[in-house]
Amino acid sequence: MHEASIALSLIGVATETLHEHGGERVTALTVRIGQWSAVVPEALQAAFPAAAQGTPLQGARLSIVPVPGVGACPTHGPVELQLALGLRCPVCDLPTPTLLQGDELELDELELE
Amino acid sequence: MTTAPRIVTVRQNILKDNDRVAADNRRTFQDAGVRAINLVSSPGAGKTALLERTLQDLQGQIGMAVAVGDLATENDAARLRQWGAQAEQIVTGTICHLDASMVQAVLPRFELAALDVLFLENVGNLVCPASYDLGEAARAVLISTTEGEDKPLKYPTMFNTADVVVITKMDIAEAVEFDSALCRENIDRARPGVQVIELSSKKGSGLDAWYSFVRGLPLP
Repeated sequence: MHEASIALSLIGVATETLHEHGGERVTALTVRIGQWSAVVPEALQAAFPAAAQGTPLQGARLSIVPVPGVGACPTHGPVELQLALGLRCPVCDLPTPTLLQGDELELDELELE
Repeated sequence: MTTAPRIVTVRQNILKDNDRVAADNRRTFQDAGVRAINLVSSPGAGKTALLERTLQDLQGQIGMAVAVGDLATENDAARLRQWGAQAEQIVTGTICHLDASMVQAVLPRFELAALDVLFLENVGNLVCPASYDLGEAARAVLISTTEGEDKPLKYPTMFNTADVVVITKMDIAEAVEFDSALCRENIDRARPGVQVIELSSKKGSGLDAWYSFVRGLPLP
């Protein structure tokens, strides 16, 4: 359960961006969380309000966009991966060693005032 | 001055501050000629036992020290010190993983120039440490024969970041009906092509391969 730590880091990055843009508070933010990132969206959603208390993000609306894993199959090209199969093409079971997407832990967008 | 909401595109890694400190650590290790190895596993997989054996066997051959993270207690550091190596405890409190800043904070306590290898024994946890680069040269993920062969697929992120996977407690593999082939298949699904070492810290089997990894040599 490191979502509380992730929430604090998220608030740090968001606050930095807020100050760069001369805003006073963040009213909404969107993050992209990859399925292979080891962060559980529900747990992050639950940890966020308490972590945001007393910061310019207090009361901000957090939207989490889950990003599915995509691997490069030698035969089928980019394929959407299934967690239960690991890094294997769901069609032919060949290894797809490189994760093309799905490890994101990214602050995508902020709404500032 | 308008107060109307504005949308700003950020597209930044949430852990960028950790990654920046990890890059600093990596440079520090490289400059000092130290190979930093991050050891991760679930609690009780045998990280400390493997390190005790390693410190004992390689004593006098290479310079080694350990920074060990735990939620509470100094027990692990005390266990490791009895083998003559410097061991510093990082008590993480409520935090379930080491991060790059915690490691950076403890580095001044070591004489890095005198070391060849610095082990970073992470908090026992197969989820949270996966996200945090410490600046290590290599990451070893341990799994014991008592844990169930499907663990690599239950914790895919952690296994996906492994430079080597170590299967520990092989001396009791038969008693617990450990299916090595199945475990290896699941490891390969989580991290295609990763090298796997089967060993017993207690009986000593498989340690040669581990020591090659520790020294940064190709595995036999």
